[in-house]
This record gives sequence, C-alpha cells and structure tokens, in this order.
Amino acid sequence: MNADRLEELRPRIRDLEAMPTIPTIIQPLASALMSPPEQVDLERVIELVSYDSTIAAQCLRVANSPLFGRQNTETVRSAVLALGLKRVETILLGFCLNRIVPPDKWVLDAVTFWRHSLGCALVSSKMAAAVGYPDPEKAYVAGLLHDLGILVNTLTCTQEFRKCIQAASNGQAALHQSEQEHLGFTHCQSGKILAEQWHFSADLIEVIEFHHDVVAAPAARTLVSLIHLSDLLCRLRHLGYGYYEAIGVNLAGDAAWAALGEEYPALASVDLARFTMDIDGAMDEIVATVDAVFKPQY
Amino acid sequence: MGIVDMGTPKAATKSDLEDLRDPAYLKIRDMIYQLSGIYQPEEKLYLLASRCARRMSVVKAKTPAEYLEHLTVRGNREAELRLLLNEITIGETYMFRSLPQLEALRNVILPQLIQAKNAMGFKRLHLWSAGCSTGEEPYTLAMLLLEESEKLLRGWTFDILATDLNDNSLAGAKAGIYGEYALRNTTELLRRKYFKPYDEKRLQATDQLKSLIRFDRVNLNDDAKMIFLKGVDVIFCCNVLIYFDLASKRKVVQHFYSNLLSGGYLFLGHAESLYQVDGRFHLVHFPGAIGYQRPPIGPTAGGQQ
Repeated sequence: MNADRLEELRPRIRDLEAMPTIPTIIQPLASALMSPPEQVDLERVIELVSYDSTIAAQCLRVANSPLFGRQNTETVRSAVLALGLKRVETILLGFCLNRIVPPDKWVLDAVTFWRHSLGCALVSSKMAAAVGYPDPEKAYVAGLLHDLGILVNTLTCTQEFRKCIQAASNGQAALHQSEQEHLGFTHCQSGKILAEQWHFSADLIEVIEFHHDVVAAPAARTLVSLIHLSDLLCRLRHLGYGYYEAIGVNLAGDAAWAALGEEYPALASVDLARFTMDIDGAMDEIVATVDAVFKPQY
Repeated sequence: MGIVDMGTPKAATKSDLEDLRDPAYLKIRDMIYQLSGIYQPEEKLYLLASRCARRMSVVKAKTPAEYLEHLTVRGNREAELRLLLNEITIGETYMFRSLPQLEALRNVILPQLIQAKNAMGFKRLHLWSAGCSTGEEPYTLAMLLLEESEKLLRGWTFDILATDLNDNSLAGAKAGIYGEYALRNTTELLRRKYFKPYDEKRLQATDQLKSLIRFDRVNLNDDAKMIFLKGVDVIFCCNVLIYFDLASKRKVVQHFYSNLLSGGYLFLGHAESLYQVDGRFHLVHFPGAIGYQRPPIGPTAGGQQ
C-alpha cells in the first residue's frame, strides 16, 4: 500500500460527509438489516420507506414489476408486504448509497455494481446457511457492503479510478490489483476509512478492509472468509465488475476456505458444484431486482 | 456429444408453476443428480417438469409422484431413466456452444499450460473430445487453436483426438459437413477461413481444419484402450458419463485422471458434475464454467484472488 496516497485521500473522504446527499438513515438501516427478521419493526420500515418519495416510488415499481407478478400495488404498506422486509431494506440501503454517487460520475455503472453487491449478499447468506454460520443476516449485509470502497474511489478519484477499471478490463485482471498498481491503494483501504466515519460495526469494517486479504484479518476472519469466497463466486458467475477476469480458482485450495472450514467443519461436505448451480438459479432474481431498482427508466 | 439444454423457452404456465410445488419433482431432481450428476436448481425446475411431462404422457403417468415410481420401483426403471435423460440432454448440438468453457480454455488454461510447458521446453498440446458425436466439438476446438497459432501458440504443435462409440456419428464427424444449425454460432470470418461450400445449404470443413483432428472409435469402458491414452492436456467429455452407472463412471474418470498430464483439465457438460465420483480432481471455477483439474506438481493453484 502507498501510505502517502491514502493519506491524500483521507480529507477528501471526510468531505464526503458534508455532502448533502448522504442520507442520515444509512447507519440505522445497516443495523436494522443485521437484526434477525423476527425482530425487525415493520412499522419502522414502512415509515423509512414513506419518508422519501423517490424510495417509495422505487419500492412500488419493484413490487409491480413482472418479478412479483405485477400485483397492482398502490400503497407503500402493500408494496412492503409484497416485497418482504428483506428486499425492502436492501432496496432502501442500496438506494441511499446509490444516491451519494451523482449519475454522471459512475465509473462501474450502477447496475453492474449493485448486481455484484446484491449477488454477494445473497451468496454470502446462502453459504452461511450451508455451513451453519449462526448469523446469515450479518453475512448478507457484509456481502452487500463489502465493496463500499468502490463508491469511495468513484467519488474521490473518478478519473484515476476510471483508468484502473479500463486497465483491469484490458488485462482481464482483478480490480484490486489494478488499483494497487495505478492508485497505490485499493477499494479495501479507502472503503475502510468511510466505514469508520460511518461508525459501521468492527467486523463489517474488517470485511471491507480485508476481503481480498483474508489472512490479514485480525478478529473477524470467519466472516471475512465467507465474504471473500462469495465475492469470488459472484465474479466467477457473471456477476463481477462487468468485464472478463481471466481467473481459474480452486476455491477449496483458497486460504479463506481453510479459515472458514476450521471454524465450520460442515464446509467440507458442501457440494460446491451443486452450490454453484443453485447460485445460478437464484441469480435471475438478483438481476431482475437490481434492474427494476437501478436501471434508468426511459 | 449430447448437450444439456436447460435454457430453452420458458413454457411454464401458472398451473405448471403450482404443479412445481409437487415435492415429487424435487425427488426426481435429486435422483437424477445422484445417478447422472446432472443438476437443476429449484428456479429451473419448470424445465425439468416440461421434460418429465413428455415422458409422463408416454408412460401414462398422471402425477409426478406416479412418474417417480416409474423411475424408482418399476421393473423398467433403468430404461425409463435413460429415456428421461435423453429428453433432458438434447442430441443436436452446434459449434461454439459452451462459450464459457471455450473462453476459459483460451484465456486461462492455454496461457497456464504454455507457461508450464515452456519451462520444460515442451511445445506440444493434446486435446481430447471424448464422445465427440458428429464432430461439432472437435472442429470448434480446432478452430480455437488455429486462431491462436500466430498468437499464444506460435511455434507450438497441437492436435485433437476425437472419439466416439457410434460408427455413424464418427463417419459424420469425419465428413465434416454442416448446415446452418451447426454453424449458427460460427462467425462469418471463421466460416470463410475454415469451411468450403459443399452444396447449396451446407459447408464442409477444410482439409487444414480436418488435419488437426484424429478420429477414432473408442469405448470409454474399454480398459485396454484407455490405458494407452497418455499425455492429454484437456479432455472435453460433455454429457457422456451421465449414462454410466456409478461404478463404470468411477472407472472412466480414473482413466481420465491417468490420461491427463499433471495440471491438465477435464470439462463436463455445463449442468453436469463429478458428484461423489473422484476426489482426486480439484474443482476449478472459471468465469461461467467449472472444470476439474488433475493437481499440478508443486505448489497448488488457487490462493488469494
């Protein structure tokens, strides 16, 4: 890591805080999402949705999309019920974060980014369930937010970040390696700074900082490993950064696999080929949800 | 080579969807997976249901549960399973069908093999299409390699072994005559380079393309023949093993393991897996494709990505 480059970035990330578009509900939402489904307060969620007319409109649009059988949902309450709390919260959080990036500033386009993030959330919670990790909700949020640094890079060094992605795409290489080469730091480090500013939980911060370097994670190595593997699986099942990465990965030989398996021996009996095909089955919904929320409407 | 086609038109109606909640479909799905290695995620069960429906009307089974009996307890269950697998794997195929596998071969595996073999000063590649049917797969591989002959594979020699059990299929493969269906994914440029007009509707592979491929009749169960196939870099065996019982499948896959060089890969059909067949292979994920690698000698692949 190039420490100087990252220090240069720090005040710019601090300035992000002053942006009028940063929704104040990000923090409460992230913690609401992490609580077990039976403890989520339905009225509170409906209130959060109604609080913002654009978000309410998005929820109605998704609830009325073909994915949910075009239910002719007209009220926020019925939209929330039709979508289910989990989807509503995800749409809310995605939408809040999405709003901090002005439409003309996106480097990875919004749809690609959210397909990857939501895909990673879903795969993480599925994998959590498969190995017996006790907190699939936490895995879901961690998956959703692991690439927060990509938004930071998009906002704080747009032009250079564009070059990173271009170079990674041309070389069919991993994005974080290209960032290291061209920026001197990666989205892991820049994401960590914003996550700290936003007072995310300690394990969530570790996920953001170490999901490409699992063995360096000091305390939350299991969760970080889970997210690392899910991130890889998404990139390997057409839900990556929108370009071809020339990688062949023996997941069972990955350090994260060993770390996760140490804590959850059930991992050894996961049929990975079958798990992968199940993910493919679920990806259609991811793509449809993200497209309904984030694709520009004409 | 049969191809599993679980991506054809969604014909499911509302009533079908309710029908899909029938737990018998999940049982049929799991049974097919255990016996053949072919898997459908729950979201794609409607495709399995439509394949079952064709067989159900033939055997006059009224419900999925009744059809499950045909597959499990009736005397002709093995034959019925085979007929169902025939419905699931559609016999017809075309060139450049499994794109993610071909991309993995060109973008990941070839560079990897070239680096490893260059170190040994051994500039030769052997590919094997096991169960090549009417030849679409080996001709596809031949085009892919030839397209790299002035790039990645400059200075290399390469060939493709194409085998099948069926003499008629092999004769068709050797003739190399294809219509629009087989060539639907082949670009105009590749058609011009590697095919010549045959008649009004069909093209024939050029001698250059054919010269890369050696066709042979091989029974994968024939130990005496399998033992002598050595030094293969990549094997493609798509939807062939699904018809084998577990014991023969294990034996064939053991042969494949010995046929491959260390670090070499085995590819199966895209919905097919080596479930409980051979633990020595490493399962390797490529973008959109899964391959099985005979572990390389020395430090294992993988690690941080």
